[in-house]
Amino acid sequence: MPCPKTEYLIQEYFADDLAPVAREEIEVHFNSCEYCSNELEVLLRSQSDLSQWQDQQVPHWDRGMELFRREHSVINEGRGFWSGWQWISTAVSLAMLAVLLLNVNVVSNEEGFSISFDALGAQNAYLDARMLAFEQGQKEAMDALVQRIEDSQEGNNIELLQVVMEQAQQTTIENLEVIYAYFERQRLQDLEDMRVGYQELVDNDFATIRSLQQIAQFISYQGEIR
Amino acid sequence: MSLIDEDQELVAAAINGSANAWEKLVKRYEGKIYNQGLRLMGNSSDAMDLTQEVFLGLYRNLHRFRGDAKFSTWIFRIAHNKAIDLSRRNRFLPSRTQIEMQEEIDALEAVHGASSFEPEKAIGELQQNNQIARILGKLSIEQRLVVELKVFQSLTFEEIAIMQDVSANTVKTRFYAALKKLKAVSEEYYALP
Repeated sequence: MPCPKTEYLIQEYFADDLAPVAREEIEVHFNSCEYCSNELEVLLRSQSDLSQWQDQQVPHWDRGMELFRREHSVINEGRGFWSGWQWISTAVSLAMLAVLLLNVNVVSNEEGFSISFDALGAQNAYLDARMLAFEQGQKEAMDALVQRIEDSQEGNNIELLQVVMEQAQQTTIENLEVIYAYFERQRLQDLEDMRVGYQELVDNDFATIRSLQQIAQFISYQGEIR
Repeated sequence: MSLIDEDQELVAAAINGSANAWEKLVKRYEGKIYNQGLRLMGNSSDAMDLTQEVFLGLYRNLHRFRGDAKFSTWIFRIAHNKAIDLSRRNRFLPSRTQIEMQEEIDALEAVHGASSFEPEKAIGELQQNNQIARILGKLSIEQRLVVELKVFQSLTFEEIAIMQDVSANTVKTRFYAALKKLKAVSEEYYALP
């Protein structure tokens, strides 16, 4: 049965600043009024369901930084120790590009360091000779290796051939035995077939003779009647 | 240093033109404002609009912050007013179809953006949030705001009354009516085949 106090009491129940005495009175009523008690339970559950919310991540946005920087004319604000070093990687890349494009040659010997631009020509002959010797050495090593592989391959081939031939012989003998057995079986089968055929033929001939005898008897009997 | 003091320092630095301070301030509150937007507006697009408008409003009025109230109270008051503006501008709540279409986009965004590398968990949380947002969407904006401030922001009825410029009794009545409506909507929702 609905209670006239439900709405007021539940509204007060959810107030945070409710005096302890008032809260106690409300709870006494809830304990004695089934309608109010059920209503409160359901509403507390509704409130509790909402608390299941899980905070979601904010999608990426610029956080108003562009507006802030524009209006405050902030060009480049320091961001700690590393902020001043952010161009280092670009500078190093540019320096390496320059070294490559200008053919920079750095020589270090007992006389000290020397740097020259486009100095590759002087070293070309030396490099060519070194390259030629290296190529020759590589070619000889390669030839020797190929020869060794060929020899090894030849030996392997002979062994393989022998094995194959032995296996072929063995297989041939076994095959011949099988063929012989087959022919023998076939021969015996043919003899049996032939015997049965002759028997049938003899039986047929005998039946034919019997028929002819019966016909002859019939004819002679007919002749006697006439 | 307490969070309140840190907030005041960041505000002071931002007023003096520190972009770092501004960014820290935004990072500190954007999650709360965005999630508040999701609950109040029902979809991520409007929630993002609300977030941007709140921080734009904050930026425009930063010099007015005197420090006599908590910064969080101030920013949530801005969010409250912006939510009402945005809701009135939209006039109508997003239709069920729009919400469902948005769910798929949101799910993908959330899975891609999840730092925990647990897409199943992220989708489960998202579905739960969408269900809560859908149920909240059945309330009027006034009821939704009372629920938001009472349940999610843990404000008292008196604080809500001051923020909404109404009596505490009105707030209590709205909250009670909102809970009754939520109960009815939940029952209807779960009764669907």
